[in-house]
Amino acid sequence: MKDLAIKAEGLEKVFGEGDVRVAAVRGVDLEVRHGEVVLIMGPSGSGKTTLLSMLGAMLRPTSGRISVDGVDLTALPESKLPDLRARRFGFVFQDFNLLSALTALENVEFARNLAGSTGRAARARAEELLRGFGLGERLSFRPDKLSGGEKQRVAIARALANKPAVILADEPTANLDSKIGHEIARLLRRAATEDGRAVVVVSHDERLKDIADRVLWLEDGEFRSMSDMATDPVCGMAVERERAPHYRHDGQTYFFCSAPCREEFAAAPDRFAASAGSGPGGSVSRPPGAEVSGSRHLR
Amino acid sequence: MTEVSGVPVGRRNLLSDRRRAFLGIAGIGVALLMVIALDGIFAGTMREVTSYIDSSEADVFVSQRGVRTMHMSSSSLPLDAVEQIGRLPSVRWADPVLYDSGALMASEERVLTYLIGYVPGQPGGPPSLVAGAAPGPGEIVLDERAAESLLLGVGGRVETLGRSWRVSGLTTGMTNIVNSVSYLRFDDFARARDVEGMASYVLVGASGAPDELAGRIESATGFTAQSRERFSAEERGRVEDMSVELMQIMTFAAFLIGLAVIGLTLHAETLARLREIGVMKALGAGPRRLGFVVLSQAAWTVGIALALAVVFALGLGWVLGRMAATIPLVVEASSVLEAAAGAALLGAVGAVSPLIKVSRVDPAAVFRR
Repeated sequence: MKDLAIKAEGLEKVFGEGDVRVAAVRGVDLEVRHGEVVLIMGPSGSGKTTLLSMLGAMLRPTSGRISVDGVDLTALPESKLPDLRARRFGFVFQDFNLLSALTALENVEFARNLAGSTGRAARARAEELLRGFGLGERLSFRPDKLSGGEKQRVAIARALANKPAVILADEPTANLDSKIGHEIARLLRRAATEDGRAVVVVSHDERLKDIADRVLWLEDGEFRSMSDMATDPVCGMAVERERAPHYRHDGQTYFFCSAPCREEFAAAPDRFAASAGSGPGGSVSRPPGAEVSGSRHLR
Repeated sequence: MTEVSGVPVGRRNLLSDRRRAFLGIAGIGVALLMVIALDGIFAGTMREVTSYIDSSEADVFVSQRGVRTMHMSSSSLPLDAVEQIGRLPSVRWADPVLYDSGALMASEERVLTYLIGYVPGQPGGPPSLVAGAAPGPGEIVLDERAAESLLLGVGGRVETLGRSWRVSGLTTGMTNIVNSVSYLRFDDFARARDVEGMASYVLVGASGAPDELAGRIESATGFTAQSRERFSAEERGRVEDMSVELMQIMTFAAFLIGLAVIGLTLHAETLARLREIGVMKALGAGPRRLGFVVLSQAAWTVGIALALAVVFALGLGWVLGRMAATIPLVVEASSVLEAAAGAALLGAVGAVSPLIKVSRVDPAAVFRR
């Protein structure tokens, strides 16, 4: 059993009070080990971003605890959090979020600076990472001169600059075409497998299931069992089997977000049945728990 | 400082948008140039307003009791004071001059002037002549710049003291932005002003220490006596006192302009980069580093602006020296230091609002789209 990198217990985040009180995350428990890739999926507004912000020490939970490599983040004063973020976390964003005035090399070097490394040592590490990602010819390019894939590779290099225990990636493939997305997914997988980092990815991208050791479904601020979920074969929405309208066809049960989708399916079931099977738990009944651990095909 | 060393983010941010950087630096540079140029013109003028005193051969100036300057002053001494002073020990010579301020008029032009009545051949006259000769009866010596303004040369005629005078000669270095110095014969001046038997000042050559002699003259005569250096300093002080409020208002206005420009530049830059500031916070940049980013950007902005302002002020001084010698612009180290201190203040005050804005950026905002 590998060491725990992240341990979150009873995480809860509430915004507002009284009538406008919203519980964005409710009683979430999560453990992520070094070398493990965990993919968190869920519909928009399900609390993924709030959870990621809390895991990344950017947002304090209303209650619950988070520890990273045994350090209790929730017990640390605000003044200690920036340094902790610099040293223990690497962040990868959907919009890349590179600093536009800096070159690719400086973007990575800046991350090293934040962890206290400056000068030649910081530059050498940044250069080594970027060259390792095939960006040796792009060191002095500013972000506006890089392609989307190159930007995300720089962002991953930046995330790895301080050899963090945890990498938190928010929709890392969303703005990339499938080939580049595939490449970015591989880099994240490699960071976990080869360097032993814990990688938590929040995404809607089904392709990322291929690199995940586990896939978790977050909805209404809570983790749901993947076996309880199904994907509407018509519109692609994730739905709870227990509450969703369903339709039996050719010995299988299909689940829908609404009656209109069910009717559309019923009008031409063969048209939709062929593409069913992907998404959380697929769209058809399967043995409970079969999809909780994602299958890793991509290496 | 080691905590915030590394990639110069502030400088990179400033220079990444060249147009905005140029406008900000140019705006602040113009404001600082105004400050340095005003100060330089003031310093140059201060040097020149005392040129008559500073170029005089006299070691001591004697005036009516209580009168310590020429500018905005009136001094009247009996002419026999000259003999009385001349008999005192350590006095090599003593000569009277008459003094008044007035205007020279010719060709519908007008130049303000100090009028000095002196005895030709004695100290008290122009330090040198660049054309013509010392004044004879009914004649006057003008500074060449004043003569140029009046479209006059040697032999021309000019109106002052209520009559016309022939220009007998030209001197140099006696005209500044405030006025000029013109020289007439002592007796002509006395008749024109109806002050015969009187002198305005007595100029004294000393064989010992001027300050000691000045003390002895005061004790012996009851008049006010000052060494040339002291008299010159009093004169400058008087002119400064009369100009300092105006200078302060103009300098303050220039600083307000500079403050507005740097405040707007930094504010706009910060607003444009709020998301990136959030990214820096998310990556682990603490308040100190982010503060350093903002302040270093401010420092680079005002630093470049100050350097450009000094270079332009020196250039302006050079150009004015050749094109308009009556407007002296002397860039003194003290002016540059004052402008630098002001620029640092500009940068610091201009950075306050951006620093507050930066402190309020939520790092978790980087996850929002």
